[in-house]
Amino acid sequence: MIKSNDLDPDFKYEISKEPGGENIKKCFNCTGCTVGCPVTEIDKSYNPRMILRKAILGMRKEVLSDESLWLCASCYICYERCPQDVKITEVIGAIRAIAQREAKAGKIKLDNPKPLFDHLFIDSVKKNGKWYEAGVSGTFMLMTKGIGGAIGYAPMGLELWKKGKLSILPHTIKGKDEIKRICEEVEK
Amino acid sequence: MKLAYYPGCTLHGTAREYDASTKAVCKAAGIELTEIDDWNCCGALEAIFDKELSMGLSARNNFKAQKTGLDLVIPCSICSHNLSRADKAMKNDSVFRAKIEKVLGEKYTGVNIKHLLDVVVNDLGIETLATKFTKSLNGIKAVPYYGCLLIRPSEVCKFDNPENPSSLDDIIKATGAECLPFTQKTKCCGGNLLMSKQDYAFILTKKLFDEAKAAGANCIVVACPMCHMLLDGQQGMIEKAHNTVIDMPVLYFTQLIGLAMGLGEKELELDKNMVSTSKLIASIGKEKPAQNKVQVKIEPAIEAEAAQ
Repeated sequence: MIKSNDLDPDFKYEISKEPGGENIKKCFNCTGCTVGCPVTEIDKSYNPRMILRKAILGMRKEVLSDESLWLCASCYICYERCPQDVKITEVIGAIRAIAQREAKAGKIKLDNPKPLFDHLFIDSVKKNGKWYEAGVSGTFMLMTKGIGGAIGYAPMGLELWKKGKLSILPHTIKGKDEIKRICEEVEK
Repeated sequence: MKLAYYPGCTLHGTAREYDASTKAVCKAAGIELTEIDDWNCCGALEAIFDKELSMGLSARNNFKAQKTGLDLVIPCSICSHNLSRADKAMKNDSVFRAKIEKVLGEKYTGVNIKHLLDVVVNDLGIETLATKFTKSLNGIKAVPYYGCLLIRPSEVCKFDNPENPSSLDDIIKATGAECLPFTQKTKCCGGNLLMSKQDYAFILTKKLFDEAKAAGANCIVVACPMCHMLLDGQQGMIEKAHNTVIDMPVLYFTQLIGLAMGLGEKELELDKNMVSTSKLIASIGKEKPAQNKVQVKIEPAIEAEAAQ
């Protein structure tokens, strides 16, 4: 049962202040997003309409710590079809950004490995200007699957390397300081 | 035609055959590409949810492209989405533009950004392209796969129908290959779930293979390195996870065009695809030319008209 005392009526405003979350309040819960969703097609428990409904109701903690927040494939079908222009894919992104901040502050726990991968990826871009595939993938595999799991990917890595598709060292750019300044500016 | 060129990280790595075949085909079609200087990663799908970071990283590339004075062509659907989204924000969001202009110390006037498929189909035109074809690819039975960001959201990419696109279909037909109906053409390959929930990513990709096989296809044609990474790069892993044999070559549309132009397999780097393309290439010319009928039965009247 939902108790009104447990709800945070400001949650929808919090989301609408995040880049991408601006249109959340336009949602009138028509379910168009969910009927076209390819992830819902294979897992009925993934329901973008329900994420939006809970968010608008103010079920803050439940939304932020729900594993299904990390199941959006960002394929933009719902974004394209939404009659209210909620921009659902980007609203999910805005909610994820809040969830990641809460996790960093130790207020919630995130189990999905995706934020770790994104973090490693973006770090490598900040450092080199381009993403360092071998380094990021290797580190991610070791951290999430351990040495045994990572070894399972070695044959594919070797095959990619033999075809000249995987560089052992990172590619870098000259304008790394510009990248650094851009990141600092948008993260202010 | 002269264009600025943004290859993006994957085309210098796992999608090198897309880079090679893009350059070869553009050269043969009279499109001169100038790679933009010192470009950086667009943030890919990893920053797509961190909107300002993604657009900030992409905007730097737009500044680089602006300096060339040319339109910018991008073969990767994700890069194309990110740079286009950044261009739109730089034009419409004065607060964001001010931030980036301050950092880079330049004024932004805007760049015309296009996906390579858009350039080939709409700027060059299929009829002009077809004048460069030297052989018919009959024997190839292809399904066109568009995926997500190539055609969605339509407020960013406007060149094709987001629900029922036809650009790749038209190219396949023009090469003399058979273009088979494919209801999964705009579904998700699962690319962005690869790191968050791999088993779901593989189920989504497997659905594409299942329908492609049921349609009688001997290859899938794509226009995005992420789709290719899932369909071609991960095909072996999907076979293992689902205990099955798929053995379905996946060509970039530029490789298909290159074959019809009579370009060499080495030049198109057809040996770099993870799933062998040799059986497919050997099948070319082994059947009568394909009769490409109207494939999608939306209105019976269209088919009746086409039959007349």
